[in-house]
Amino acid sequence: MSVNISVEAPIENQIQEITYDGTEIYQPPLTLSESLAKYAQKIDFSKTELEIKKEELNEDSKSDTDSKEAFQSSLWPWDSVRNKLRNALQEVCVLADVLAIAKDKRYLVLDPVQQETLETKPMVQIYARKKALAGAASVLLAGSEKMKNSQTEAARSRTTLDFHIELLRLRQNWRLKKVSNTIIGDLSYRTTGSKYLQTGTFEVTKAEDEEKTNSPPSSPLPGSTASAKPTSALRVSIPSELQGVAYIEVLCQKDQEDLCTANLTLLGSGAPPTNPDMHWQQKLEAAQNVLFCKELFNQLAKEAVQLQAPVPHMVVGNQIMATVLPGIQLIIALRHSTSSDKKQQNPPPSKSDHDHVLEHSLHQLLREVHHKNTHHPFPHPATGPLGPSKKRMLAGPMAADRYELLEMTKTQTLLEQIVQQAQHFIMRMRTEYVLDTIAKEVKDPLITSHWNTLNSPTQSCVKIHISTHGYDAVCRTPLIIHVGEKSLKCICRDGKVMNMSYEPQELRDLIFCHINQHQILAVQALAKTMGWQALGNSNHLGTGTVEPLGNASSCLLSSPTGDRIIAVRCEPSTDTQVSVAHSPRQDFFPSRLVTERKWEHLGGQFRDVRLDKMEGRNFLHKMELLMASLTSSS
Amino acid sequence: MGVTILTQFALENKTGPQTVEVLSKRICALGAVQQGHFLVDCETYTSVPQLGHQRTVHVLHNSEQPATVFSLLDNGTKITALATDGLFDLLMMKMSQFYTSKKQTKAESKGLRYEIGDFYVKLGTVTVSSNYKGILVEVEYRPCVVPAMCWDLLKEFLQGFLGLTAPTNPPTYLQNRMQEVYTPIDTIHQYLEHFTMFRKSPGIYRN
Repeated sequence: MSVNISVEAPIENQIQEITYDGTEIYQPPLTLSESLAKYAQKIDFSKTELEIKKEELNEDSKSDTDSKEAFQSSLWPWDSVRNKLRNALQEVCVLADVLAIAKDKRYLVLDPVQQETLETKPMVQIYARKKALAGAASVLLAGSEKMKNSQTEAARSRTTLDFHIELLRLRQNWRLKKVSNTIIGDLSYRTTGSKYLQTGTFEVTKAEDEEKTNSPPSSPLPGSTASAKPTSALRVSIPSELQGVAYIEVLCQKDQEDLCTANLTLLGSGAPPTNPDMHWQQKLEAAQNVLFCKELFNQLAKEAVQLQAPVPHMVVGNQIMATVLPGIQLIIALRHSTSSDKKQQNPPPSKSDHDHVLEHSLHQLLREVHHKNTHHPFPHPATGPLGPSKKRMLAGPMAADRYELLEMTKTQTLLEQIVQQAQHFIMRMRTEYVLDTIAKEVKDPLITSHWNTLNSPTQSCVKIHISTHGYDAVCRTPLIIHVGEKSLKCICRDGKVMNMSYEPQELRDLIFCHINQHQILAVQALAKTMGWQALGNSNHLGTGTVEPLGNASSCLLSSPTGDRIIAVRCEPSTDTQVSVAHSPRQDFFPSRLVTERKWEHLGGQFRDVRLDKMEGRNFLHKMELLMASLTSSS
Repeated sequence: MGVTILTQFALENKTGPQTVEVLSKRICALGAVQQGHFLVDCETYTSVPQLGHQRTVHVLHNSEQPATVFSLLDNGTKITALATDGLFDLLMMKMSQFYTSKKQTKAESKGLRYEIGDFYVKLGTVTVSSNYKGILVEVEYRPCVVPAMCWDLLKEFLQGFLGLTAPTNPPTYLQNRMQEVYTPIDTIHQYLEHFTMFRKSPGIYRN
């Protein structure tokens, strides 16, 4: 341990002056006579000895500078002491003179002074005590009243929340700011990227106290307080244009007949807005919904006017009409019912085929726009330009050609997107209808359709299987249909791609053609398992009557020994025809023309088989039985 | 996306504009529709001696890929290709102390662009530092990306309007890459080949 400790004597003398170089100049200590005079000066002779002692202690604790000044100011150090002593001597002399005169009893007589006795009246005492007690009682009563009040206040605050706590809750969900003495809130979507001009400000005020007092005082029973609606200590006032209930109605109309409807509302906004007891949260949510619907409709209306559609969109009042497919209109309407103009008329009862998808899509589309307004892609080199999409930024290094770049600049408006979704919705519905009706109509080959559960709003996919009951393993015709916005794409069994328009009849015809082909293919596959030989087949037979749609298909089968031939002809419009020929004929008689037996293998006459009279569950079953019987008989 | 074949074309006793006129008449007779203009340019930068072994950077722009700057770094033995976005031009400006450009070697091919079915035809007049050098015909077949699969078709199409002077073999650059997927950088390689040939050839001052 090598810490230097400096030891210094305490300063005994007062410092008179400190020079600029830091040296301290001390006062010379007082001489004995000086200090005696200083102390003597402090003596107050008018006080008792005890007081003097106390006083002296205090004086000592005081700073010495005062005493020094006093010491210096007086001319002579013992002056005050002398004055005080002289005054005391004077008083003592006067007292001695008075006593001497009084002793003589000639000039001065000292009489004892009569002390006045108090009259004590008992009644007055009683009154006084009564009064004092009454005062004490009132103090106690006032205290108890105060305590009771605070108790009831606490009980009430359990049912009606404190204004500040409510304000805190409000702040957690809504944007608030204080402007001078009022609290202004904002329920617009501007912070989330909305560019709608209408403001959504509301004012927050404290609920009036009268209303609180009007409500019955909270009863001690907890059951009754729970049943009473808790009144809020907070009031929100919403601008009149945002009051009421609004929703966007989406209708797909075909010749004045609704195909689907969708109502865009927020849950819980059905409560009538006039009700002042409505909780502020619901009130604000309803107002926000009104604002959202207005923005959405405004945007759609703007686009409807700007878009150059082949069939122009119409905007009439609060309604937009767009043609989706020929004969089918999409109607988007803004329904806003304020409390003042009429009694709340409920929206028409929703139909059983109420579709929530379009409703949801509209919501989603505008939110996407909002999201895009606030979320910009980051520039990839940090110094790069801000704004272009990630795809556009990659376009350079990926050497995108001018068409790809043009595609990138194209953006779809909300209306275009919703029209596309509506088109797809109708296409899907039509496809479903066609497939279901065919499955109902056609019993022999079974038609099963599997819809993909995952699809996009504008594209879905269905897989169709054509198979025969009991012969699924023998032959099965798969088809895949992509349902788009205005067209269908069918991928056939052999990989051929058929593009169809929005007319459902085209799909119907295609399925019927495939049913025919399936029958012919299934018969051939069955023949293979039976040991029969397929001599030939044609999917598009040129012979026979002209079909209203497609072509007939046919095939020829020969028995294992080759002595029987079955011909099958399938026509889309009529039923299948089956004919049987024998070759050679059992009885052979050589003639002059046909000399040798081998020529008889050319085959004989085809005779029709009446399938409807045959045993069997379905066409393939009948064919199996037919082939089996022809094989055994040979 | 598609496969592009680039070939030089010249007619006897005809100037450049006349040749282009003849070709455009022929292609229009086949049913082509004119669709604007096109421009392919090439600027060459060489490294300064302080950098050691000399390297050459060819910076090319193709109006078909307007957002892209192609650059080919030639170090004598190997060519490295790079496709970047437009900022590369600014980068080259910053590097002017290391890579200096020779203005007199700036080559470009520009002219009219035609569409005929799946084919795009571009009739380009090549100039090197604004001196006329010749005619380059570019034919692109859009639906295919593998040169081997559409070379015969392209050859036939080229013969259809270029006559007997049409190439009978694929371009030398493509000969080793016939089975690979064609990318826009392959077009740039072909252009560079032709531009280097034009630069080396003695000038044809006929316009």
